[in-house]
Amino acid sequence: MLDDKEVRRLLLRTAARDEGSAEAFERLYRSCAPLLLGVAQRVLGRRELAEEVLHDGFGAIWRSAESFDPVIGQPVAWMVAIVRNRAIDVRASHDVARVDSYHDALEDDPEGALDRLFDWSPDAGESEDRRRASQWLRDCLGKLKAAERQALVLAYEHGLSHGDLAAHLRKPLGTVKTWVRRGMENLRECVEACMVGPR
Amino acid sequence: MRIGNGTKLDALCGEYVLGTLRGAARRRFERALREEPRVALQLGYWQALFTPRYSKMIELQPSREGWKRLELELGLARYRARWHARAGFWRAWAVAATAALALGVGFQLLRPAPEPAPELTPLLEIAQLTGKVDVSRVTAKLSRDGRTLELRAARAVLAGPAQSYELWLLPAEGGAPVSLAVLGSLDARFALPPGQVGRLRTGAKLAVSVEPAGGSPTGAPTGAVILVGEITA
Repeated sequence: MLDDKEVRRLLLRTAARDEGSAEAFERLYRSCAPLLLGVAQRVLGRRELAEEVLHDGFGAIWRSAESFDPVIGQPVAWMVAIVRNRAIDVRASHDVARVDSYHDALEDDPEGALDRLFDWSPDAGESEDRRRASQWLRDCLGKLKAAERQALVLAYEHGLSHGDLAAHLRKPLGTVKTWVRRGMENLRECVEACMVGPR
Repeated sequence: MRIGNGTKLDALCGEYVLGTLRGAARRRFERALREEPRVALQLGYWQALFTPRYSKMIELQPSREGWKRLELELGLARYRARWHARAGFWRAWAVAATAALALGVGFQLLRPAPEPAPELTPLLEIAQLTGKVDVSRVTAKLSRDGRTLELRAARAVLAGPAQSYELWLLPAEGGAPVSLAVLGSLDARFALPPGQVGRLRTGAKLAVSVEPAGGSPTGAPTGAVILVGEITA
């Protein structure tokens, strides 16, 4: 995986539609496809569908690279959103994954799941800001109520909808929606407090 | 659509980042993202805060045909640098040229000094050949008797091992291109085919295409035309 700066550069080169565009796009594919396939697989649970979503997702990345805003956009997050949203749509239309089948879900080991899915260690290619933001996010996730944390991570990792979450957690829809909303609010308040607070 | 106030916008950004914003609501949000700068700005803020780096453990290697299929479907060949414009090519060429030069020098040392070349009739410039990609500018000169053509490249240009350059005459009166020479370098001097002497006149054009080694297999240009110039003398 490349750092954000390089991914951003390759996206701009792709959007330029000149003689170097195919080469830049190919580098983008070679370096980011494994991650994006993993993201799709987490949502879909079926390899052949994940590969299809990866294919369509990269088609969309090629076509919409020009709409990526290099100043405010987060390049990897931008690509992840494209592929993940597609996977979520396919999942909804194929009814591919029964929510009951998430044996590796968070109940057993909520901290473990967070650390299995994400890499919190500082990365050499990362800016100081990114590094700090990552640390704050990890700390703040740890401070959430367990139910909120579980709902957020399940939704993020497996692309579960509110309805899926309610079925999986065997809770009323309203309760689950509240967990998700409160969870995101608390997370944001906590991270923002870290930003302004003493380091 | 106008997306609501700050709190509402934050809630939407949060759900979008998380992935729980679905269906029509997500499509509305995505449209607002394109149309309303403050929405994109706020989402950028959320993504900066809430995009943890995925663990390498979740990565999966895509199938081998994946890239090929994508390349074909998106027609990416159009957006590739041609071989002669690629930096890698020039680097490889520089190495090859240096090696060739070294061999050439060695060869010169072994060989008896050549007879001095006979004085040629003066050459007159008849065309400047240029390309879309600035490979090199090539000047074409014709001897006064019209039998010898000389090409001089502003920058040395050599064909790759599997390629040749082919020089074509595009007759002033129209009609199919006529092959004048198959070349390994765009610095060359050669006798014109007897049938073409006298046809290199004002209004005709010279063109260089890239062909398989040994020249076009069909008798017409098959590869990319890299240089063209009109004859003005």
